[in-house]
Amino acid sequence: MLERIVKAYNEAVFETDKEAAFEVVEAALAGGLTAEDIVFKVVIPAVEEMMSNITKDPDANLAQHFMTAQIAAEVTEKMLLSFKQPPEIIGKVVMGTAHGDLHSLGKRIVMGCLKALMVDVVDLGVNVPAERFVDVAQAENAQVIAISAMMVHTATGENGASKVRRILHERGLEDRIKLVVGGAPYRFDDGLYQTVGADAWAADGVNAGRIIVDLIRGIKKS
Amino acid sequence: MSVLLVSSATGLHRLPASDGQSVRDLLDTTALRVRAACGGSGTCGACSVRLIAGEVSPPTVAEYLKLTPEERAAGQRLACQLRIQGDVHIELEHPAPPSAWKSIVPENLAEITACRPELSAHRYGLAVDLGTTHIRLALWDRRAGKRIATRRGANPQGSFGADVLNRLEAARAHPEHAAELAASAREAIMHAVRDILARDIGEVTPMLAEIGEVLIVGNTAMLALLTGQGGDALLDPAYWQKKVDFQPADRSAWQQPWHLPNARIVLPGPVAGFVGSDLVADLVATGLVDGPPGSLLLDVGTNTEIALWDGACLHVTSVPGGPAFEGVGIRHGMPAEPGAIYRVSRSDAGYACATLAGETARGFCGSGLTDAIAVLLADGRLKPSGRFVVSPGPEGYALDPANPATAITGIDVDAFQRAKAAIAAAMEVLLRQAGMGWGELRRLCICGAFGHTLDVGRAQSLGLLPPIAAQDVELHADASLAGGERALLSPNGAQRFAALTDTIKAINLSLIADYDEAYINHLRLRPIAVAPSP
Ligand code: B12
Ligand code: FES
Repeated sequence: MLERIVKAYNEAVFETDKEAAFEVVEAALAGGLTAEDIVFKVVIPAVEEMMSNITKDPDANLAQHFMTAQIAAEVTEKMLLSFKQPPEIIGKVVMGTAHGDLHSLGKRIVMGCLKALMVDVVDLGVNVPAERFVDVAQAENAQVIAISAMMVHTATGENGASKVRRILHERGLEDRIKLVVGGAPYRFDDGLYQTVGADAWAADGVNAGRIIVDLIRGIKKS
Repeated sequence: MSVLLVSSATGLHRLPASDGQSVRDLLDTTALRVRAACGGSGTCGACSVRLIAGEVSPPTVAEYLKLTPEERAAGQRLACQLRIQGDVHIELEHPAPPSAWKSIVPENLAEITACRPELSAHRYGLAVDLGTTHIRLALWDRRAGKRIATRRGANPQGSFGADVLNRLEAARAHPEHAAELAASAREAIMHAVRDILARDIGEVTPMLAEIGEVLIVGNTAMLALLTGQGGDALLDPAYWQKKVDFQPADRSAWQQPWHLPNARIVLPGPVAGFVGSDLVADLVATGLVDGPPGSLLLDVGTNTEIALWDGACLHVTSVPGGPAFEGVGIRHGMPAEPGAIYRVSRSDAGYACATLAGETARGFCGSGLTDAIAVLLADGRLKPSGRFVVSPGPEGYALDPANPATAITGIDVDAFQRAKAAIAAAMEVLLRQAGMGWGELRRLCICGAFGHTLDVGRAQSLGLLPPIAAQDVELHADASLAGGERALLSPNGAQRFAALTDTIKAINLSLIADYDEAYINHLRLRPIAVAPSP
């Protein structure tokens, strides 16, 4: 039965059909699956499958990324309410859009993926000053600062990621807090993340989840 | 529809023509202009062409006066007198020197009956629509209520970048760039005016002094760059929703280089940091507030501007969802120029692509892209998710297998989905702000060149346009220019603009929490549901 549910769910996500995905989840609950099973055996494997598919599939489109993240986050959020005990959290990320940038959609997708992967996300919203990213990451003991920027001048500007890098350096936090960036300008120039002093970037939400989880694991190991 | 074939040094050109149109008027809308030094009255004799064959009007008196019997025997005619009455073939031996300026095609011009009989001096007036990509303008004899001529040409600021942010950034970073950006737009306007005076009146310098008003509308970035001020404010979200105004610091510094000593320079104020006076001009041209509640206006450009009239209030916003419809980010995307596929239909062999000027297909303009995706979806080759049923590979699905420029790729479909979702979600937010639903729309005005070749039904099938009966959809091609012209021709035009601007409720989409949600829902390729599912 689980196999059939996983297949139906993956298909709905792949087809970006949110209504169908929720129907699968409802039917699975009615059929006796627990909330934990749905998250760990259906949703997380689906996100992981999307990750490996998307890297191989040049045709994957924004709607699919959105839906993977959106559906995964919505299902997870709903299921968490009926978890018997709080799940184990992989780590913590502080996320926001760059100073001057009000484009929130990229952040939303990336946060959706992270939540579904059991990463705790502190959402700083949009138009976030560089100091604030670092202050909150320090206070919250986060391992990663993630900055989304959709415009060239907010991705490369002096008040965005490069300033966060400078502050991390000045406060001696570079071993404890990693900096990840993403958004349209980084997709057009895949070396841009280095120019602004980031440790990593990702071209889409699903890969963002993977890269951030890897970075968290790396920090926790050392 | 007839065809005008033109043999010239650059080859054989095929132009769609309407019967009754003069050869000069038709050629003036293309890069193949005849020489001219009168408004087409047959008095300058500069516009001669050789008639090779075809159904045309008989020679006029002017032609008997201006052409010798030998010239007439050799087939010479005056292009301004020669009217098309069927398929015609001419030879253009002495074209005008190449120019950046063309006449606006007559179908795109609004019919305006207004005049200013009270004006005794400086009766001429110029209306300008300063667009990011194109500049459009019209010179009027305001006293007589006569449009003398129009021109359309590229905005020379494009050399600093196609999108407004690059230009604002250039102006912010280097004061000398700011000055150059401002000067290049002003020079372009003056070139166009001189082109009109030289070709359509035949006298330049004395006429310049007769121009009594120059009225310019545009988006906020264009107005900021033109006046050389305030550009950085537009890059800062803090100024976004504030009222901004851009006026020349020193009007005489414009009048002098323009050689327009008597021209009042009028720049109606924009609505807010992100909605320009071009939208107000659209509102004036369409008379949106004179229509029923539930009237929606859509001006698809680099920035798409949207207005909703709910009977009491005008809700307005702008969304940068347009570039894909101008070919940006589309593998074989291009602006609406000769060779652009503007329509796709089914044929026995597969698909037939109609192109502008009937040339070999070079790529898709906005309406062609919309049509192509709609037929691929209807034929089950594309799924509502935007994916191909059978992946065509990175080269895409070629509608005409013999021509790779007719291919649509998966990435193109994605870019289309993003653009149409951005626009549809913006319309939905406006409706919500007004407490209305999709089903309450009564009138849709599509402004700008985009609507001109668009198949409305196909656009609706993809969820790019709202569900509304075909008879309630109006196309207003050069609406921003028409609004400027109306202001120029009315003694209280500027006040009308200001009064409209004051009734507008401008909505900044980045402050609307559920815009995101709506965007995601509108990514799917499907008609907009009248009662959206909860
Ligand atoms: C929607 C939209 C808006 C909406 C935003 C609504 C919202 N709440 O987000 C509104 C209408 C508010 C808006 C406003 C403006 N916008 Co805008 N906008 C867009 C649009 C249409 C889509 C952008 C988007 O959200 N895409 C969806 C994202 C999620 O897709 P994505 O990049 O593929 O995201 C993936 C990856 O990048 C990655 N990712 C994203 N973030 C991160 C972060 C990390 C850490 C990682 C690892 C990965 C990652 O994962 C994502 C999911 O797979 C684009 C044009 C387009 N068609 O793309 C213009 C665009 C981005 N906007 C643009 C402009 C110019 C503006 C305005 C200045 C317009 C104006 N004149 O007023 C304002 C500026 C507002 C501001 N100060 O921020 C330009 C930018 C041009 C440039 N040179 O940089 C664009 C490109 C349009 C254009 N060509 O003109 N905009
Ligand atoms: S005679 Fe034809 S334009 Fe002057």
